[in-house]
Amino acid sequence: MGPLIPNDIIPMEWNSVIALIIGIFFGFILEASGFSSSRKLAGVFYGYDFAVLKVFFTAALVSVIGILYLDYLGYVDMSMLYVHPTYLWGAIIGGMIMGIGFVSAGFCPGTSLCAVAIGKIDAIVYVLGIMVGIFVFATFYDFFEPLYDGYNYGNITLMDSFNINPYWFVFLFTIAAVLIFAGADLIRKRVKKVFY
Amino acid sequence: MLNRNLVKFLSFRYVILAVVFVILAGGLVVLPKFNPVKGIEPTQLLNDAISPERYISTDELADRLINQDPSILLIDVRSKADYDKYALPGALHVPFKSMWNDEFDAYIDQDDFDVIFYSNDNLTADQAWILSKRLDYKNIHVLKGGMNEWYRTIINPEKPEEIMASNAYDLYAFRKAASMFFGVAYPQKSAPIKVQPKPVVVSKPKVIVPKKKKKKMPVEGGC
Repeated sequence: MGPLIPNDIIPMEWNSVIALIIGIFFGFILEASGFSSSRKLAGVFYGYDFAVLKVFFTAALVSVIGILYLDYLGYVDMSMLYVHPTYLWGAIIGGMIMGIGFVSAGFCPGTSLCAVAIGKIDAIVYVLGIMVGIFVFATFYDFFEPLYDGYNYGNITLMDSFNINPYWFVFLFTIAAVLIFAGADLIRKRVKKVFY
Repeated sequence: MLNRNLVKFLSFRYVILAVVFVILAGGLVVLPKFNPVKGIEPTQLLNDAISPERYISTDELADRLINQDPSILLIDVRSKADYDKYALPGALHVPFKSMWNDEFDAYIDQDDFDVIFYSNDNLTADQAWILSKRLDYKNIHVLKGGMNEWYRTIINPEKPEEIMASNAYDLYAFRKAASMFFGVAYPQKSAPIKVQPKPVVVSKPKVIVPKKKKKKMPVEGGC
């Protein structure tokens, strides 16, 4: 049956509408759970708040477990889902730049827009920084292009590259996630409390 | 006023959620493995199997062949040797065992032609029909009685006896004419002129453009 749009169950024209609705809910929940505060987001690097780690880890696992069950029951054809292509060195260097921006400003691109929406000045500066970054990248695109387009490994997943059973992988990953959450709680208890 | 038991229970909420999470993930590991069934529902298959539309009679087939109906596609599921010896005009030889290969699939799995399977009797053609039907192929039929019935009714029709009804004579007249069309010569009693037997035309298989599968839309996504 699914995915709904590639199988023409929902016409393709609804794509943007559905994306907009999901985006509104995503932004609302980000803001409602306090992710528009840079202190909360930066907390994961200083050890006083691991909400970001827990939320995104849990979200990824809930979706992967849900999709595997739906695939098993025949409601979603997993082979038709979009897998983002891997550009190895682009991802590594881009991830490092993103990490530096994350720890220094306390926002990721999504949460920064949430924070702009509630009028945080640091977030406005951050978004201006994103714009400058985009401008620099576009200007020197010829220079960056070999990195941007190169090292393409195609639409691979961890299950493909390590040739492991996805069910076992997700199970072990879940146990690892629970252990990481427990460990994060232990760290949080030892670190001096920060009020924000 | 807070419910003390509820508070006590909720203080374990993260542990409970973690346990639920691990159980759900573990469920994936212990699920029995199976290959998902492709094709139509068993009830639908059964309905189609007992439907009279499944068969096409030799008379109807002869009629359509004589009228040069362009919408039929005859599929010979017998062996290659049998096919070379004699085949219905315009038939395409598809060996039963390689029927669902990519090579032949496009001929059978299409909506544009009435696909008619035939073998020496019903048996192999029926098997091909059931298996193809299960994969939800459209417009597929079986020649009732197969080649044996074809010989018995069209090529060598039985002469009706005198006590039989008039429609039996009509049928015989049709079958006799059809057999002449397919190359059988009848010695004429009144006229000594020999009718030149028309050679059996084993025409080449029709060139059928395989139906293009509907291309799935590429999926786009992002962060």
